[in-house]
Amino acid sequence: MLSLRALRRFLPALASALVAGSALADTYDVKLPPELSTSPKLCDYAPCKDVMPGATSFSERRGQPPFVEAYKDEAGQKKLLGYVMLSTDITDIPAYSGKPVVTLIGMDTTGHFTGVKILKHSEPILLLGIPEAALVKFNNQYLGKFVGDNIEIGKSRPEENLIGLDAITGATVTVIAQNQVMMTSGNEVAKQVGILKPVNRPQARFIASTATPSWAELVSDGSVQRLVVKAEEVGLKSDGRPYMDLWFGYLNEPSIGRAILGKYGYDGLMSRLSAGEHAIFIIKTAGMDSFKGSGFVRGGLYDRVQVRQDKDSFTFRDLDYVNLWGVSASGAPAFDESAIFIIRGKSFSAAYPWKLIFLGNKIDKETSTKTFANFDKEYWLDAKYLEGGRPKVVKPDPTWLKVWKERAVEIGAFTVFLLLISVAYASRDKLVRRSTHKNKWPVNAFKYTAWVVSIGFVGFTAMAQPSITQVLTWFHSLLFQWKWELFLSDPLIFVFWIFIIVTVFVWGRGFFCGWLCPFGSLSELLYKIGQAVGLKRFQFHLPQKLHDKLKWVKYAVFFGLLAVSFFNMGLAEKLAEVEPFKTTFLVGIMNRSWPYSLFAAGLLGLSIFTERPFCKYLCPLGAALAMPTTFRWFGLKRKEECTSCKACAKGCGSLAIDTKGNIDQRECMLCLDCMVLYYDDHACPPLAQERKRRTKAGQPLTPINGKGYYIPIHPAPADKKQEGAAA
Amino acid sequence: MTIADKTELRQPAYGNAHGLKWLAAEAWDHLWPWAGRGQAARKLIQGAGFALAIAATVAWVLAAMGRLEAGAIIGWWFGWSVLEVFVRLDAKPYVKEGPWWGHLYRRATVMDMICYVSFKNLLIGAVLFIGLKSIGALQV
Repeated sequence: MLSLRALRRFLPALASALVAGSALADTYDVKLPPELSTSPKLCDYAPCKDVMPGATSFSERRGQPPFVEAYKDEAGQKKLLGYVMLSTDITDIPAYSGKPVVTLIGMDTTGHFTGVKILKHSEPILLLGIPEAALVKFNNQYLGKFVGDNIEIGKSRPEENLIGLDAITGATVTVIAQNQVMMTSGNEVAKQVGILKPVNRPQARFIASTATPSWAELVSDGSVQRLVVKAEEVGLKSDGRPYMDLWFGYLNEPSIGRAILGKYGYDGLMSRLSAGEHAIFIIKTAGMDSFKGSGFVRGGLYDRVQVRQDKDSFTFRDLDYVNLWGVSASGAPAFDESAIFIIRGKSFSAAYPWKLIFLGNKIDKETSTKTFANFDKEYWLDAKYLEGGRPKVVKPDPTWLKVWKERAVEIGAFTVFLLLISVAYASRDKLVRRSTHKNKWPVNAFKYTAWVVSIGFVGFTAMAQPSITQVLTWFHSLLFQWKWELFLSDPLIFVFWIFIIVTVFVWGRGFFCGWLCPFGSLSELLYKIGQAVGLKRFQFHLPQKLHDKLKWVKYAVFFGLLAVSFFNMGLAEKLAEVEPFKTTFLVGIMNRSWPYSLFAAGLLGLSIFTERPFCKYLCPLGAALAMPTTFRWFGLKRKEECTSCKACAKGCGSLAIDTKGNIDQRECMLCLDCMVLYYDDHACPPLAQERKRRTKAGQPLTPINGKGYYIPIHPAPADKKQEGAAA
Repeated sequence: MTIADKTELRQPAYGNAHGLKWLAAEAWDHLWPWAGRGQAARKLIQGAGFALAIAATVAWVLAAMGRLEAGAIIGWWFGWSVLEVFVRLDAKPYVKEGPWWGHLYRRATVMDMICYVSFKNLLIGAVLFIGLKSIGALQV
């Protein structure tokens, strides 16, 4: 009763401490004014001066994607200082939370970053644990750097002309995304204002042909591509129609151009183009909106479509537009909107792949605010249209692949470690047979090695402690938006989770929890150390009856977090601080505010006196893994005598053996102590009894079989004996 | 539960079947929580179970027609799962023991059944949910 009363007092105190901690997060999910993303006067709603020191005035939004110009007054004259851009005007790259980090970026007229300011983020790791100041510090690394430089997370590699930025430990995915946001935004504006020059690509030379392919043939060889945007992708309710269903293709190539426009139409169009100009067509066969939009009426700019080739983008003005009255290709679908656009940038080449970008706005259902979202489809002329075929194009690795390549050794070592420990556990029958209840080293050597590596390498060095927050994120991703890139960005966690999922179904959660969880290992190691240094007399187990009640708490914690996560993921992330993992491994007990440190230190301190208190009663991750453990394939062995003999149950540190001798695999940490006893003829009571009986009767002690008994001695039948004697 | 007490083991009605027949019976057992021939069940729980199952099915159909939101269908599926635990504890109070391809079953405790139903329905729910989402019937 006393402990329950204490718990009742402790929980509210902990909750208020958590809330106090969260107050430190300044820009976490703050409500931004809706005008920030819509008003022409961006700087009326954003602290532009913070990212452009010295600026006294700012222009309205201009360009596509938009940016503002920053000026300072010099002798009564306005002098252009640089440019300010809002990241979400330019790119919708999501960070770990699945939402973009809204960033205000300043860049001077020479393309050097002058300021970076986070306006809003939804990153749980920055809410609790890693201070926001770490992200500010990370962003400050961009100051003074040139937008055209090759900047990436990791070590600088001067031989590859690569400038490295220090990541934030424990928030790798966030900073990788932030780097993409910074560089994409900076590049887009730098190209528009002429700081970055377009790449000159060799022009395509077409193979002469008189063929006029049908629509189906054009689609099948990729000469016509389709870009579909679903209604729900832009936050609209679906009525069965897509939001946008576009078909597009390149018209300069003679056979494609003639097929789409007819001979005269093609010749007429080509006669209007100067050297180095290119034409594409777009038709809309279904959709809820116009792909032309209305921007060209006001500003002469088509703001919903553009073409991108590598890092160069091409936008269309009203002068770049030509009417498309019909499509000649047989079998072409009916359409309700059409256009021919002229690409006038000289760096465009049809020999290389390019993308049609549809620039949309996604409406947030909760706030009704619009956020930028773009959708694209790649186009690359088939080799049969190009003299010499397609040129060789080396596409850069996706970011997650770069991370895997950079950490290949670490990933390899970790995988080998996991496999070695798995092989050791799979050989448990051999190991426990070599052990006795007095000498368990054949088992413990592997287990203790796993603990030490887990704590030192996995926990403190690689910071790959699995957490319930990942389960919640995966659960939501499974239902709402699955992105492999998000999970692949943290390779050790990814590998660990694949391993955990497989081993939970094969052996149960005990293998991860009991052998490989960094915090669990640290907890039990402290218990063992306590035992070794003379604290054994203070060590205790809770009474079985109390344990059988308290063990349900962790399931309540898990279901509570899961339920809360459906309503408010941010709150669930905060409450997930019930796991002391972040404090212990990610941030450090000495580096956090006292409520977190006290909680983690208290649990670890308690672990010296009672075995794994957190794992048994509080761990939501343990509970989440315990549930599928109900269906694990291979369990530990039991004998019929176990129903009445309590020898194993008395020594079970997990208190997982019930009064009937059955093992509750959801609670079992697979320490293998009971399996050591199972084969130990000096410890397992039925086996010891049989040993004594045989010794007394002068019978041989035959090997112990897989069922934990001596192989029975069967007297040879009498007639066989006689046959043997005769022989 | 790793069994020492053999009285915990159970044999479902289809337990003696083999091969494809057993596989089909096993699949049916996962999808149909109510008692089969030769199995006892309380009428009240059976009736309530049928009623809610029909309601949950209607909910999925509405979702497929684009007339139910994601949160609502998750709520319905959760509600049905809670009742399925009671239905199964009454009608089919056993779970698989050991390898999934094995023929060993044991008495299900309440927690065993919660684990079984929640895991099974998570998989079924995810397949239906993702299916409806991919055809655009369900919006999140």
